[in-house]
This record gives sequence, structure tokens and C-alpha cells, in this order.
Amino acid sequence: MSESTDATALDTDSDRAVLRTDGVTKRFGGLTAVDDVDVEVHEGEIVGLIGPNGAGKSTLFNCITGTLHADEGRVYLQGQDVTDWPEYKIARAGLGRMFQETRVFGNMSVRKNLLLAAQEGGADVGKLLRRPDDSLLERTNELLEYVDLGGLADTQAGRLSFGQQKLIEFSMALMAEPELLLMDEPAGGINPSMLENLIDYIRTANEDEEATIFLIEHNMDFVMEIADRIYVLAHGERIAAGTPEEIQNDQRVLDAYLGRE
Amino acid sequence: MAITQFIVNGLLIGALFAGIAVGFALIWGVVDIINLAHGEMVMLGGYVSFWLLNIATGNTNASPTVFLATIPVAIAVLFVVGYALQRTLVQRVIGTDIFLTLLVTFGISIAIQQLAIQAWTANPRSIQTSFADPSLTIAGLTVPKMKLLAFAGAIALTAALYVFLQNTRTGRAIRGVAQNPEAAELVGIDVEHTRAVTFGISSGIAGGIGAFVATILTIDPQMGLIYTLKSFVIVVFGGVGSIPGAMIGGLLLGSVEELTAGLVSSRWTLAVSFTLLIVLLVVKPNGLFGEEADQ
Amino acid sequence: MSTNDSEERSGLLHTILPPNQVDRLFDVCSAHAWKLLLVGVVVGALPPLVGLEQGYLMTVVTEMYLFAILALSWDIIGGQTGYPSFGNMAFFGIGAYTTAILVKDFAVGFPTAMVVAGLVAVVFAIIIGVVVLRLRGHYFAIATLGVLLAAQQVSRNLDITGGASGKILFDVPEGTVFYYLFFGVLVAEVALVYYLSNTRFGFVLNAIRDDEEKATAMGFNTTYYKVVAWMLSALFTGLAGGAFSLFNTFLNPQTAYNGAWNVELIAMALMGGSGTVAGPVIGAFGLHTIIELVESWFVGWQLVVLGSAIIVTVISFPDGVVGTLREYASGMAYYERGGMAATDSDDAEVAADE
Repeated sequence: MSESTDATALDTDSDRAVLRTDGVTKRFGGLTAVDDVDVEVHEGEIVGLIGPNGAGKSTLFNCITGTLHADEGRVYLQGQDVTDWPEYKIARAGLGRMFQETRVFGNMSVRKNLLLAAQEGGADVGKLLRRPDDSLLERTNELLEYVDLGGLADTQAGRLSFGQQKLIEFSMALMAEPELLLMDEPAGGINPSMLENLIDYIRTANEDEEATIFLIEHNMDFVMEIADRIYVLAHGERIAAGTPEEIQNDQRVLDAYLGRE
Repeated sequence: MAITQFIVNGLLIGALFAGIAVGFALIWGVVDIINLAHGEMVMLGGYVSFWLLNIATGNTNASPTVFLATIPVAIAVLFVVGYALQRTLVQRVIGTDIFLTLLVTFGISIAIQQLAIQAWTANPRSIQTSFADPSLTIAGLTVPKMKLLAFAGAIALTAALYVFLQNTRTGRAIRGVAQNPEAAELVGIDVEHTRAVTFGISSGIAGGIGAFVATILTIDPQMGLIYTLKSFVIVVFGGVGSIPGAMIGGLLLGSVEELTAGLVSSRWTLAVSFTLLIVLLVVKPNGLFGEEADQ
Repeated sequence: MSTNDSEERSGLLHTILPPNQVDRLFDVCSAHAWKLLLVGVVVGALPPLVGLEQGYLMTVVTEMYLFAILALSWDIIGGQTGYPSFGNMAFFGIGAYTTAILVKDFAVGFPTAMVVAGLVAVVFAIIIGVVVLRLRGHYFAIATLGVLLAAQQVSRNLDITGGASGKILFDVPEGTVFYYLFFGVLVAEVALVYYLSNTRFGFVLNAIRDDEEKATAMGFNTTYYKVVAWMLSALFTGLAGGAFSLFNTFLNPQTAYNGAWNVELIAMALMGGSGTVAGPVIGAFGLHTIIELVESWFVGWQLVVLGSAIIVTVISFPDGVVGTLREYASGMAYYERGGMAATDSDDAEVAADE
């Protein structure tokens, strides 16, 4: 990946920023879904993005991944300006994404799903035309064991339960060894007793695999427990940023959720 | 002067395209499928009229009034055919993969074509209508009376459909199912029956217009697919939910074709239509007037 | 259907044809696929050597190979990549006219002409594909239909293609040549498709079919892959067409750009099992035989049979022979491998996770 130098000088803190958005704004007709939002995610962090429904969280995500393009402002991934890049190019640059509705390739086996997710050699067409090599296969086994789904490697992904599919999607994301992993409501639809496991999986991925994570979430307990820092959006604007303790005690956040804004 | 003549020709025939397209759009909007067998309804309507005249009068030379009497029959027959097709076959694949619904209607199209070839041979047929004076001359332009009659017929059928949809209970039920089938079901509308009625009405109108086609052009068992594709072009242009859009689209398509035929050569009219198809699909899949077409 | 009924029926079926055995059959086939192909090559190459004479029967078998090529080619873009083309025959016609024109008007040798036919078809695939492959679902299908009809019209209008009357070819190789030619192309195509289906390139195509947005989000430039898939599809279809014009000795727009054939080959791929390697081939062999039989007994009704076959398949067996068998075979696999308890952190909790 080429290192591009940004015209404006970056201070040392932002240098470690895997992701940085600068004044991102997105409008749909007369509605401003995202309004001048700045966020930063540093290497090794788990950062949460919360806010009431309609606050613009998913739209912000989409502007980052390239599904949508910001009307104003810039998005920087590892210092590169990726604001106008096509979606697949940003993904290739190291941005992994997990979907709210948990998308896996249902007609293919779990193993195929994971093999597909590995991006190494992806740009090199020649590699793609060869059968998957052993190191790749080993890694799929490794990741599957890691989420305790080893026995299901050859089962059709579509047959797995929702929670299992979520774990597969998670493994797929890790397979690509992303610089940054965006997770859209990872706790959504998960049996409460399974949530502890999920927190473990994510934490371990963060530590062992050095995955930097940026997640949207509605489940307050989940976010407060797992995140290092949290951003709060309401009506498209960033209204608060800080550690979980700071956020829990922030009056503006409470107002936003209780509808007093 | 010649160009105006071409445009007039185009408008005259364009109304027929529009009338056919309107039925196609209706099926798309209400039953949520693209009916690749729609053109066959046009073809069958033409043949109904043809054979009715043949059986009734012994030949296919008829006075306009006698011909017009076959139109209701064509409409009725095709209504039944359409209703039956929907209820027996199409109904079973609604809601499955889009590709499968396309394939079923394509299969029906081929089956009907082949049956028609078996029954009536592949030779083109036409109906001759005898007017005392075949054409009118208005402002230096030649307007064949039969074409004018066909034009009026197509417009009348389209207008009748529009009125029907707006003002009758069934019409409202149809619009309800088009907007939201679940909600329609909840308020007591028999959704399957409504869909079949829609299919029937669209096929009926297509059949009626097919009868007109038999008088101003020719009919043969394999003419259908081209009308289906033209309908598709028109509907993509005008928008899936829009009758005015289909009308304008039809008139425009007719004009473009006649202009091409007149200025270049009639051999290239279809190539022009298909190019339009591709261009439209790439540039404006939502149409100019209608709601967003389902992707 | 009451649960008792279906239970009884499936119980009976399970006894006669246990899913486990079918599953093992699939496993065995996968493990020895290349050997199976070799056996197939030998079996296919034998008949002319041991006495199959030129004539009706050889022609039927040759046509069977031809349709298998067409069905498998369609399946690359339709079944594997999920972009059902209703106009693949356009490449067939382009290939056919290319060889017809080159051989008859320019006295080019047949082998060279065939190669050129394949290449011309690929070039067209790229040009058309870049435009048309951006469309999704039904728009793509209908656009390809438009392409097919437009190609037909163009052939009808040009002089070099012989207009509506087409071209007649004399001095063509004998039947046995075509038998081996189509057979050879088929074997090559089966080998290639099978090989690709086990590489990540093949996985990407399937991913595009299953969830194109997710594939894009994962970093794949899907347009690129779709175009390549269509190029492959066009190559083999074009080659088949290129051979066909001489095989048939006669070519006109109706024959070259045959919409009914396009439906036929889709039906074959579907009935055999779309998205598999063996499926389209099996479907082609089977359906073509049936249609030939119908044609000899009830002349003229074969396409009615075809239409009906399509309708039945689509409504009742959309996965085709191979697909349905595979579904049946793997039905129990999930539960055998642990099912929901497979996430074994705490059995009771996870089992409740629906």
C-alpha cells in the first residue's frame, strides 16, 4: 500500500489514527443525515458509536466504507484520503465491514466463505486461479476453532443459526486481517447469554489479532463494557466523545436519549 | 413535410404500442413480474379476430363495423387466457427468484408460439377492412382511416382502463395490491384473484389491440417477442406505475421508429428500438414519471 | 400436506436412498473427479471407433455435445455468477457467422476460422458486457434478450451475412470430425469449469451470485469478475457456434440467433442443476434425448414439450437433478456435525439461540 502524504500536517496523535473523518457531511434531499462529524480511531482501540435511532450512525459508516460518498468533509484511512474511492478499493485498503443483518454466502460452505475472505493475493489474479494453499486452509481452521465452530467447516453457511452466522461473518472479517474492522450492531439479535462469549471473542481478536474496531451498537451494557472510547451522535451531529464513564455521566447524552434535545 | 408525415405515422402506431405497454406495466406493478409472454397475447388477439371473421363471413375482408364487432370477443377471450395462465402457472412462482418468473413466462411464450405455428402455420396473415375511401387527407398529410381507427381504439381502451382503475371497486383493489399486497389482504381483498384479474385485463387489452394490428400490419405466430420488448422499453422510459408515462413513451417510440424507417430504412427500426432499450436501462432505470422500479 | 404424510414419504425415501449414501457418492465423485473425467473421455471417444457410423445417430450424439457446451457456458454466467443471460445465443450466432463468412467468402481454413470465431465472440462479450453487466436481475436478462434480437436484425440487414436467406456452405468436413470436435470442446470446458470452481476465482463468482453487495464490501471488483465470466461463457459458445455453421451447412438469422435454443439451454442447465459442473451437462444430455424422441414420435411438438418442461422444473424442482440430490444429501449434515450445539461454550444457552 502506498503511503500518501497528506497536504496538511498531521499531529503525532492523529498519525496513529487508523481512521479519521474530518467534517463529514451527508445530505439526502432536504435532510442532513450526517452533519460535520469528526471521529478518530487509533490503532488497537475498540471505539463505540452510539446514538438514538436516526442519528446518522449507519450513514456515517456508509460514508467511511465508500457505499456512500460524503457531500462535504474527508475520510482518511491510515492517512490516505479515501473519501471518493469506490467501495471495493477501500475494502482492499484494509477496511473490514460486518453488516447489521449478518451477511454470509449462504449457498457456499463455511470454509469457502472464509477462504474467500482472505485477501492476500487477491489483487494478484494468478494467485486466485490456483487452488487455496495450505497456509490459507490452516488459517481457516484456526479461526473456526477460535469461535468454536470447527466441526461445521463443510456445512452450507446458510444452514447455520443466526448467532453462528454472525460468528462466521466475524471470522471472515478477521480472515482479511483488516487494518480497521467496522461492526454494525454486533450484539443485535444475539441471545443475552451468548453476549458474554461475543465480548470475549471480540476482545481476544482485538488483543491477539491486533484488530482495531469501530462499532455501532444500541445495547448499552455491551458497548460500555467493550469500548475504550465512545462517540455519541444525535440528529447527525457529534454531541459527545469520551470514555464510557464520561459518556454515562454526560447530560447532553442523557438528554438526547430521553428526547429532550 | 415528409418529416411531419413520418411523425404522424409514428403517433398513429405509437398509440398501439402504448396500449400494449400499459397492460405490461400493469402486470409488472400489480403481479410484480415481467411478463415475457405479453406479446403473445397481442398475437392471439389478432388471430381471434382473424379467424372469427373467417368463420363468420368466409373471408377476411370486412367492413369496419363488422371488424369492430370482433374486438370485444378478442378482449374477452384473452381475458380468460390471461386469468387462467396467472392462476394455474404464474401464481406458483410469484415471490421466488426473479429469474424463475422470467423463465416461466418465457417458457409460456415459447409454448404459445409453437402451438400457434402448429395450428395456423408460420405464414403471416392480415385482415382487410374496406373503407369507401381508405385515407383522409388533412393539411397535406395522408392519414389512412384504418390507422386512425386503430389509434382511436387504442386510446379508448387505455382511457377505459384508466377510468376503471380510478373509479371501480376492482380497480381500487388492483391499485391496492400494487401498492402493498399484505395490507390489501388485511382489508379483505382476495389478492390472488385480483392479480389474476389484472393479468386477464392486461391480456385482454393487448388482445384487443392485437386485432387492430392485424388490420394495419400483419400477424404471425412469432411476432410477440418484439412487442414484449417494445413494451419493456416504453415502461422503463415512462415508469412502472405510470399510465401517462406509458402513453408518452409509446407515442415517442412510434415516432422514432417511423422517422428511422422514413429517413434511413425500415430495416433498421428494430435495431434502433433495441439500442434505445440498452441506453435506457443503463441511464434511467427509474423512468421519467413513475415510481422507482424494483431492482 | 399433513405432517404424517410427508413424514411417511420421506421415511420411505430415506430408506431406499439414504441421504448418507448420496452424500458419500458426492464425496467420492469430488475426490476422484479428474479420474471420472478421464473415464468420460474414454467412453465418449469410443463409439465412432467401435462402429458408430455417420448418420442420424451420430448427429444426435454430436448435437448432444453441442447443447452440453451451450448449457455449461450459460451456467458460467447464469448459474455460477447469478446473471441469467437470455441472449447467450448472440455469441453463438456471432461465432457461426464468423466462420461461415471466413470459410466461404475468404477461403480461410476451418481451424483458423474457428479460433477467430471464438475470439470475436469474446471481444463482443467485453464490449457488451461492460455496459450490460452493470444491470441487475431482470434488467440484465431483458437487456441480453434485446442484444440477441438486435444481433438477429443486424444479420438480416447486412449483405455480408447473406441477409435473410443466410449462407449455405459446401465442402465441409465429415461427421466424425464434428463428433470429436464438439466432444473435445466439451471436455475442455468441463475441465476448465471444474478447475475454476475449486479456486478462489470460482468462489468469487459464487459470492457475486449469493450477495453481490457483500462481495463488493469485501473488496472484490465485481464488474471485473462478471466480465471475465461472461468472456468465458462467450468463448465456448462462440466456438460451438463457429463449428455449427459448417456442421449444419446452412445458416440464417433465425437459426443462428435462435431464441428457442436459448430457452432450451437454460432449461437444460436448470434441470440438470444450475451452479454445478455436472448439472448442465446431465441436463443437456437428458433433455436433448427427450426432445429428439418427441420429435420422432410427435413431429412439431417438441418445443411445446420444452415449454412445459421448463414450467414444471421452475415450479417444482428449481435446483435441478444435481442440486436437489445435493440438498437431500446434506440435509442431515448440519445436525450430525453438532448443529446449534456446535458452538460449544455452554450447550444449554447456545441451543436456545434461535
